[in-house]
Amino acid sequence: MSEQADIERTDIERTAAEIRAQPLLSARGITKYFGNDGGMFSKASAPIRAVEGVDLDIASGEVLGVVGESGSGKSTLGRLVLRLIEPTSGTVSFDGKDLCSLQTGEMRRFRRHMQMIFQDPFSSLNARMTIGDALVEPIALHLGLRGQAARDAAVGVLERVGLHADHMKRYPRMFSGGQRQRIAIARALASSPRFIVADEPVSALDVSVQAEVINLLQQLQKELGLTLMFISHDLSVVEVITDRVMVLYLGRVMELAPTESLYGNPAHPYTAALLQAAPGMTSVKKHILKGEIPSPANPPSGCVFRTRCPFAIDACAHTVPALRPVGPDHLKACIRDDIEL
Amino acid sequence: MPLTEQAVETAARRPVLSVQNLKTHFMTDAGVIKAVNGVSLSVGEGETLAVVGESGSGKSVTGLTVMRLLGRTTARVVGGSIEFVDRDGKAIDLLNLSDMGMEKVRGHDIAMIFQDPMSSLNPVFTIGNQIAEPIRIHQGFGKKEARAKALDLLRQVGISDPESRIDSYPHQLSGGMRQRVMIAIALACDPRLLIADEPTTALDVTIQAQIMALLKQLQAERNMAMIFVTHDLKLVDEIADRVAVMYASQVVEEGPVDQVLGHPRHPYTKALLECIPSRRDAQGERRQLHPIPGTLPNPLSPPSGCRFHPRCGFAADICIASDPELEAVASDHVTRCLRWQEVAL
Repeated sequence: MSEQADIERTDIERTAAEIRAQPLLSARGITKYFGNDGGMFSKASAPIRAVEGVDLDIASGEVLGVVGESGSGKSTLGRLVLRLIEPTSGTVSFDGKDLCSLQTGEMRRFRRHMQMIFQDPFSSLNARMTIGDALVEPIALHLGLRGQAARDAAVGVLERVGLHADHMKRYPRMFSGGQRQRIAIARALASSPRFIVADEPVSALDVSVQAEVINLLQQLQKELGLTLMFISHDLSVVEVITDRVMVLYLGRVMELAPTESLYGNPAHPYTAALLQAAPGMTSVKKHILKGEIPSPANPPSGCVFRTRCPFAIDACAHTVPALRPVGPDHLKACIRDDIEL
Repeated sequence: MPLTEQAVETAARRPVLSVQNLKTHFMTDAGVIKAVNGVSLSVGEGETLAVVGESGSGKSVTGLTVMRLLGRTTARVVGGSIEFVDRDGKAIDLLNLSDMGMEKVRGHDIAMIFQDPMSSLNPVFTIGNQIAEPIRIHQGFGKKEARAKALDLLRQVGISDPESRIDSYPHQLSGGMRQRVMIAIALACDPRLLIADEPTTALDVTIQAQIMALLKQLQAERNMAMIFVTHDLKLVDEIADRVAVMYASQVVEEGPVDQVLGHPRHPYTKALLECIPSRRDAQGERRQLHPIPGTLPNPLSPPSGCRFHPRCGFAADICIASDPELEAVASDHVTRCLRWQEVAL
């Protein structure tokens, strides 16, 4: 608990310099290729380039949104920063510590600081464990509490998410989808983590329940000063909850900006297209993006978005555009500045 | 929107489908689930009616009942009528049609597309085969002609290079392309009515935008009637002329889209709208989301009186005691609320 006290979120509007000066979590050139290099029974195939050279800093107390279509690498990125999967290359550090250098045992102890919430509360809870047992487990493991003390702590987190002590003896099947997601959140909170990756936490829920869970996440984030990575394909949900947003396409960062400037003034053609495609986001529908996201096993040369980009020129095929600043704390990976989105 | 008025007029003149007081109940071991309980809907030529609701509201069961796709052992239609006007202007009573008769209507006059194109396509037949099947069965074309028509349909639904795609199997296509194939199959026989049940829910947002545009365009070209079943109010605004909002097996509000979404006259519609995360307000402030308190009622034992009363901020004693009927708030706009005149939504 002591760590939590010193993370206090004093000011919501942090400057870019502050974020960069003291990130809680940072990743450098993180890359993940899936696939086989050939073995006894299978031929080597082109690897799936799920995440390619992503740099990322999340300040303490910040909520970073990660958006993109399926296959953009957003879930892989979430798993990489928690070291649930090993990166092909690149580094992740948490509070100054290089996660990839930690031994298995050390990593396991370190996990209490970083937790995850999954999309589907029907499959992320063990059907044969009571809610109480499911909560006591991480509390015993990470906080070393036993017996009544552990149970009291479990009731504590359960109450934090709007459930109560009566629910401890029940099984997941006795709860609705929204309640299950609350339980999943309680479980993530049980070890008093500082950083949580929420991977599509409201996508499986009905809209009325979705609003409830978003409000809860927001409230918990403020009360506990949590640092959140919020992964979602739903742009309207991301706008509500995040401070900054990263837009991914085929494993690369297309744009990274404070939420307001990204939604109000998108700088990358892909972001603009996403906002226009999302129902209810803009009344302007200038162009519907043609085609589909290419295979990550064989991404286009140069800018990966160029095959669907209405503004692509020859030069886009030759160079991989670097992320460069276009405004305060606003970065884009597009070589063109002469386009009107 | 002048189009809406026009469409409503058309609907009033020539409803393609009219459902009256439909009741579909499921007989389960735990009891009777009244999944659709007194639903009335109608849709006219060239018109799109959206049916919107949360999971368990009965929106999909309504569509499946119209198509008569529910198993007879568990699902019973215990009341109401479904009247469909075929292309010769003849009214058909779908509920009392023989199975043979229904087979002639299904896929021919009324077609349906579903949420998950992977599980609704047959994995062991090529897509060309599956598109040609209804053409051969319903229109009696030979193999060659049906294949030519299938190619043309693939082109119409925006699949580039259809010659190289027609012999593909479903697993070789992406989700967006599979949904295009589903649409091609549905439209193969030029149906009078298309029922689209959450057709874009499984798709990415950019692909969703493509499919929505395609549906709109094809519907306009063919002057088809369409029932668009969805949970997403934002899509309703984009595609529909009229909308029926369902809650706990009943239609609670129905009317032109701009009326219902712009000036809702039922507390549930209003509550649903306030759950949607939307752009920041004029001052750039984040708008607080207002979840609906409580949970959806247990379908085995829905609350007495108004189904929504336990979660409604405006509920009074009368809402517990008596069942609200649909009342007209305007000539083309109805609400199932006893207090719509008193409450300021």
